[in-house]
Amino acid sequence: MALSGDLKAFNFVDIFQILKKDKKDGILVVESDDDKKFGVYFKEGDIVYIRPIKKVFYLYLDIDFASVLRKEGIKEQELYQHLVSRLPILLAVKEGKFSFTPGFIKYTPEIKPLIPIEKLIMFLSRQLTPLEVERKISDEKLVFDKAENWEEIAKKAHLTDTEKKILSLIDGKNTVEDIKNQLQIDDLVLKKALYGMLASGIIKRAKRKRKLGFNLTKGLLKKIMNVIKGL
Amino acid sequence: MAEKQIKIVVSGPYAAGKTQFINTVSEIKTVQTEAKTTRTGEKEKKSHTTVAMDFGKIKIDDEHVLYLFGTPGQSRFDFMWDILGKGMVGLIVLVDSTDPNTFHEARKIINFFESRYPAPFIVGCNKQDLEGAWSPEDIRTALDLDDDVKVLPLVATNKESVKNVLLELLEEIAHHI
Repeated sequence: MALSGDLKAFNFVDIFQILKKDKKDGILVVESDDDKKFGVYFKEGDIVYIRPIKKVFYLYLDIDFASVLRKEGIKEQELYQHLVSRLPILLAVKEGKFSFTPGFIKYTPEIKPLIPIEKLIMFLSRQLTPLEVERKISDEKLVFDKAENWEEIAKKAHLTDTEKKILSLIDGKNTVEDIKNQLQIDDLVLKKALYGMLASGIIKRAKRKRKLGFNLTKGLLKKIMNVIKGL
Repeated sequence: MAEKQIKIVVSGPYAAGKTQFINTVSEIKTVQTEAKTTRTGEKEKKSHTTVAMDFGKIKIDDEHVLYLFGTPGQSRFDFMWDILGKGMVGLIVLVDSTDPNTFHEARKIINFFESRYPAPFIVGCNKQDLEGAWSPEDIRTALDLDDDVKVLPLVATNKESVKNVLLELLEEIAHHI
């Protein structure tokens, strides 16, 4: 199934969130509006390599990551320095298209993620605009809770002191508004931190107690279901 | 005997297929409140848009009627979300699976209803029959939905597909009675 879209509507934070959540292997193709093209290689949801390319089809000539490295003239131990040098160029792309091809590329077990994607997600979240932040944190009444393995993810994400303070107030009860009032913190700083922590999986939306606006009985519900089935 | 109205709200971003969804199962011709689309970016997608609400109706018995209320998709009409959310037994949020540009709008709609009217809700990933459709699982992550929220494939022009989504919502409601 397709995983493609426009970077203006779906930024790198959102894309990385999806790829990390499902621990996807594959190649993310990024084509900027000013005609730069990149193949971003993912292993289990983490970036392992960024490859600038002239034409997209070049990416699909190799199904083995070892042969990609051979063609690029790169040794495994040099991957980190290449990744670090190319990341800023990739992440500076704000306008363009992306598409993700799952699977396709084979990695050897020696290929390991070198930069935690959670750290990148938090880094990018700190640069979000008010309009982007509004997409996920659109309501001050929202309540968040810590994820089950939040400590482990937070460690990888390298939170700032302010973000740590925000995280300490996330308890499944405090609303966004409560946290803002308690910390006397700038609205955008708070929402950017929440966006990043949500995307990286440190926090999740708190479960709400469901309320029905009508006094339904099981018998009546069964009757409605039978009517629907018979339509 | 006075008719008792049971209300399900069908919401979602612009052009997600809400009116079609209701039309597909309503036993009356859907009552629509449409206006000609004039805004750039909207008029290319469809010529008319819902401005207040759509509603369709399914008679349950002599006493009860199930109403399906469709909200307007554009957030400039969000005052209607508040009006329609009151008293609902469940919410179906539709997304156009082929248009990820609208997923954030769907999240805002969920945020709105979850904060004010936390009724049982499910997500219908419409237009799954079209090329370029995102999978329900990817849409789940894009919308930050927990694994216990039902995110279902949907083709709103197909009666069985619409019935399936409605039945899944009713199953969900059953857990909260």
